[in-house]
Amino acid sequence: MKNYTLIITEKPDAAQRIALALNTQGKIERREEGGVPYYIATRDRDIVVAPSLGHLYTIAEERRGRDYYPVFNFRWVPRHSTERNAKRIRDWIATISKLAKNAETYIDACDYDIEGSVIGYCILKYACGNKERKSKRMKYSTLTKEELEKSYVEPLPHLNFALIEAGKARHEVDWLYGVNLSRALTISAKNWSGGYTTLTTGRVQGPSLKFIVNREKAIRSFVPTPFWEIRAKIKIGRYTFEAEYEKARIETEAEAHAIQRSCQGVDAKVEKIEVKRYQVDPPVPYDLGSLQREAYIFFRYAPRRTLNIAQRLYLEALISYPRTSSQRLPHEIDYRSILKNLSRNHKYREFTQSILSSPVVRPREGRESDPAHPAIYPTGKMAERDLDFMEARILDLVTRRFISTFGEPAVKESMKISINVNGHNFYMHGKRNLEDGWQRFYEPYAKSQEVIIPEISEKQSAIVRKIIVEGKFTRPPARYNPGSLLRKMEQAGIGTKATRANIIQALYDRKYIQDERMIAADLGFQVLETLEKHCPRVVSVEFTSELEEKMNMIQARKERKETVLLDAVETLKSATEKLKEKDKTIGERLSSPILKAKLERRIVGSCPTCSSGKLIILHSKKTRKRFLGCTNYFKAKCTTSFPLPQKGSVRSLNRSCRICGWPKIQIRVKRRRFWTLCFNPDCPSKVRRRRLEMPSM
Amino acid sequence: MKCPLCDRIVDKKDYCTLHSQAYRNLVKKFESWRKARKISWQEYLNEIAENQFTGEWAKEMAEHLMRLGEKESVAES
Repeated sequence: MKNYTLIITEKPDAAQRIALALNTQGKIERREEGGVPYYIATRDRDIVVAPSLGHLYTIAEERRGRDYYPVFNFRWVPRHSTERNAKRIRDWIATISKLAKNAETYIDACDYDIEGSVIGYCILKYACGNKERKSKRMKYSTLTKEELEKSYVEPLPHLNFALIEAGKARHEVDWLYGVNLSRALTISAKNWSGGYTTLTTGRVQGPSLKFIVNREKAIRSFVPTPFWEIRAKIKIGRYTFEAEYEKARIETEAEAHAIQRSCQGVDAKVEKIEVKRYQVDPPVPYDLGSLQREAYIFFRYAPRRTLNIAQRLYLEALISYPRTSSQRLPHEIDYRSILKNLSRNHKYREFTQSILSSPVVRPREGRESDPAHPAIYPTGKMAERDLDFMEARILDLVTRRFISTFGEPAVKESMKISINVNGHNFYMHGKRNLEDGWQRFYEPYAKSQEVIIPEISEKQSAIVRKIIVEGKFTRPPARYNPGSLLRKMEQAGIGTKATRANIIQALYDRKYIQDERMIAADLGFQVLETLEKHCPRVVSVEFTSELEEKMNMIQARKERKETVLLDAVETLKSATEKLKEKDKTIGERLSSPILKAKLERRIVGSCPTCSSGKLIILHSKKTRKRFLGCTNYFKAKCTTSFPLPQKGSVRSLNRSCRICGWPKIQIRVKRRRFWTLCFNPDCPSKVRRRRLEMPSM
Repeated sequence: MKCPLCDRIVDKKDYCTLHSQAYRNLVKKFESWRKARKISWQEYLNEIAENQFTGEWAKEMAEHLMRLGEKESVAES
């Protein structure tokens, strides 16, 4: 086969879908070479659709080895030449190079964003032999047949080089920061703590850790102050209500009791009733950040999980491209046809039909826009397979949000009743829903509780039944969770929509933080303290967001990549020099939290026998076999031990068995499914299973 | 020199930076407590040490100061 069009996609699923959409004659042909699939479609000419596997090229230092820093010389290389687990990439590059030789025209059909642009560019430049200037660009936001055909027939004449330049700058700057600072920490720790532990930090990871550590410091050094709240039980007509005192907080006990004495047992009067009607506008469509936040609020899905699910739904052509910061739905996406398609699902029929029956179908849009993609919306297509429950939940959330944006505003009424008690004002608040509007479409995600107050008139007299004085304390600030940290990163302008979720995960993986309500671990404290002390600029939020701004300017052709890289090198030069100077101090200070983190990794939970000890993974001196033993064994207090599977890695799940309450662990064996087990030999779940497995007598 | 409350290095004064911050918070909030409850420094420390919302380091510092107070009163007597 010769003189065909070679289309490069980002993932194999997208390649198949594009081939199916563009093919007009017969069936598409799937071929494979060296385990790499590609598809042949026929249209006006032969089309070969070859997938990438995400990034095939990455940045590596020119000199080999990982035990030195600073590193400022780098180049783009195939991933397999530098990453241990990327052997498949060699076959992938070889296949694409071979297909490129006989191609006549080239089209980059990777996702139209920074990462997709860099992936496509590197393949066209390095694997296809400098075809990046000859290539055209397909731009689409959904993998539906109509949109793919349109983007093939009307491609952009060339690649978006500004976007590519910005993407390359981001990779290169992140690499420079990540490699140099991480190596400085890892090498110091290795030299002075006696063992190897990978410690990482980076341009965005450092400031993100700073948010959590600063919050942790505020919580741990928090001193509460007392205050008092006053409420009154007041009888008006036949009903008794609870009203709040005009001042939400009384600062002294004496004042609180003086108010109580003054109001107790006296007559009262309804002084004023204020009724207000107000509208609650429909929500704006989802961008990635708001989808991740709501998925966390409603389903407790971590941002990275939500992104992975949304990516799968996109590859199935069920929703539009999820890595977007847009809150806008341009007219070209044909709302009516999407709503009509959604009507095929009985869950949404009532709502979509009521929207379609109105003369104007227009969504409410937000302020944020993204030149590459619109907000996230459902395509209205039916799923070709059974979705798992997590995918179904995210699809339902996106669909209901999309439908809600077309709804009428909800109308509500609030009521504020002011009651005079011996010169003191108490207030009662009521709330009624007059028209549900869009909230009807967004159920069960939109909740609005009503507080109905029966009819009361101004000047009506009332009787004070009781004055309640309640002593309270101020509370520490709440810990970050994955959703709120994501929002904080967005507000501070650090990271991108595509990278934030991975950075949060990296903080967990490195044991800098733990638990869903993020608690900074000792290692996190020490890493941040080191960076703040010796190179405060690299963990400064302002500096990171400034750099972020500069990279956006490269995309807008207002800044040059070389200038940004030189700035980064200058900053890093002085930072790494200081880190090197204090190598010994840093290493010694890091050693204790590293040891603690290593020990904590081995702790599985509390000992179910003695309760005071911890169960820890140990190795027998005699047999070298691993088992679980109680830490109180070393104090000769508890001899509890349990056998463990000898293959795979053991991980504590930090949760208890639902049936017996013992800690649970997970065994991970390479290329096998994770195995979660409760190690209590007498757990009722096991007794039940044993009974089921017993042969019938 | 190590902080008397943890293993961290003492930075400038008697405690590490983290416990120093807790100490500053304790001193700062005493005025509000004194006005609100009319209590003495020792009573205040006792309340803080037992309060569920007190942060870990502030609690450690309150307990430490209580111990110091006891020692001083023993020395005086």
